Amino acid sequence: MIEDEDLELLALQRRLDDAFQTTRPRRDFEDELWLRMQSRRPIWRRVRDGVAGLVEGIREAPGVPSAAVAVALIVLLGAGIFTLGGLGRGGGTSSTAARPATNDTGAVPQGSGFGPVPRPVFGEAVPPLVPGTGQAAFYAGAATLVWAGDLKVSVTALPVYRYAEPTEAQANSFAASVGALPSADVAQGGIGVYAGRDFTLVVLASVAQPPREPYVNVSDLKSTVAPTSDSVVMATEYLAAHHLLPTWPYQTDVQTSGTTVRVNFLRSFDVPGLGQANLVDSAGNRYGTEVDFAPGTTGAFETAPMPLTLEPATYPIISADQAIRSLGASSAPSGGSIPVVRITKAELVYTLVWGGDHSYYEPAYLFSGTFSNNGVPTVKRVLIPAVTPSLLTR
Amino acid sequence: MPDDRPPFEELYRDYLGRIYAYVRAQVSTAADAEDITAQVFMNAYQAYGRFEARNASPVAWLFRIARNATTDHFRAHGRRERLRRTIEHQPIAESDPGTMAEERIQYKALLVHVARLPERQRGSIALRHSGLSFEEVGALMSCTEDAAKMLYHRGLKALRESVHKEGE
Repeated sequence: MIEDEDLELLALQRRLDDAFQTTRPRRDFEDELWLRMQSRRPIWRRVRDGVAGLVEGIREAPGVPSAAVAVALIVLLGAGIFTLGGLGRGGGTSSTAARPATNDTGAVPQGSGFGPVPRPVFGEAVPPLVPGTGQAAFYAGAATLVWAGDLKVSVTALPVYRYAEPTEAQANSFAASVGALPSADVAQGGIGVYAGRDFTLVVLASVAQPPREPYVNVSDLKSTVAPTSDSVVMATEYLAAHHLLPTWPYQTDVQTSGTTVRVNFLRSFDVPGLGQANLVDSAGNRYGTEVDFAPGTTGAFETAPMPLTLEPATYPIISADQAIRSLGASSAPSGGSIPVVRITKAELVYTLVWGGDHSYYEPAYLFSGTFSNNGVPTVKRVLIPAVTPSLLTR
Repeated sequence: MPDDRPPFEELYRDYLGRIYAYVRAQVSTAADAEDITAQVFMNAYQAYGRFEARNASPVAWLFRIARNATTDHFRAHGRRERLRRTIEHQPIAESDPGTMAEERIQYKALLVHVARLPERQRGSIALRHSGLSFEEVGALMSCTEDAAKMLYHRGLKALRESVHKEGE
């Protein structure tokens, strides 16, 4: 009997082996995911691999002289969710300058809005991308949170912004507006690949988790703007030359890593009654558009968010006191190795919430505090959805 | 990058399928498995520069990230997942033609039973049949190698009971 049982368990193990060995993702998944990962490569890796990547990309783009690849300068210009933006993770130099607001969303209509909107899903903090810079690490684990800040919010309602997932026709139209035509198929998850004069363009669709809005990668073979000593000016002119200058409010942040420079155009929303609210990803990092380049070289590789039409609608939000209570509810009981973190900062921010055909920029409370984790300055962040819970669908 | 650390592309190519299978054995839908797998590799890609091979093998490191991501998934969707498993006879049922070839029917059904096991038993079986040694399973599950073996065998017996019950 025991032997029979053993044989039965052995057979079950074999079936499990087979089950695990034959369970694989659908065929396109590997390419899709790789494409997404490539678009979020850290700056130094993107620059290092840039020329090779350009060669691969340009092979797909007819009409682009392959000889020009040899003299390509790598300029990266991006808008990924997990960027080097926020908290100055790039190390080296860092500067910030305000830009006059040019929000294209206009007044927010009052009314029934979009109905219940999806609840934001907040993820783990993304670790710093540039090692050895002495910057604060991020902590995503359980912590005992002690509120020690001051949060006053005078508004009781804020706009939620919605966009429709762009179609291939819209991507084609956008590509045409920047002087690029369809050139090759793209793996599922992308919308199109296009070729322009000395550059290729890839348009990517929204991603559910971690949430990401549609954006574009542009690979250039040579710079169209003369380098200047001002990185922000160079990046701004470069964006303008490619018709990718943000139309939303932003702040710039400059980071250096080795011989490369990254200029972040960190996105904000102009919010009636509140002023500007920063856009953050699901881990609380600010992001927007990035421009990475290597001064003194020629050529370019760019990424930027695809311009989208945002529909606004007003939603009631929870009060500061309610948000602080929610913060307390997310606190872990003290004891053991659980760190105690004094939460000293709080602000209203906006975060992307994927919703399928339509996705949303929704307000949220971003709480943060710094503590010493074995002597390492470490940041703990907590995001709390701001929209009244009864109007969140999941 | 130290010499003993393989290129990330190699890890990606070799382990994407295994990580997916590990995750897929624990969640209800292929879509969730894809989302979690994507998160695993994107997090791993960004953190790989700081990975130190002397502390863990790249594979164990990847599975640790996968285990954390799966745990986070259940933390975020646990109630919904449990409800779905309770009310659905075939919680991994897929109507999408693109997923039809994902698994052979009997294996798919077997993984449904795995997904219904208690968390630690499920984890030990999924890690073990993803190719990890008991030592690695124990390290990932914060227990000894012997405890991992015991957990696994209990899980295996519970799985057998579950399969038998289904057949009655």
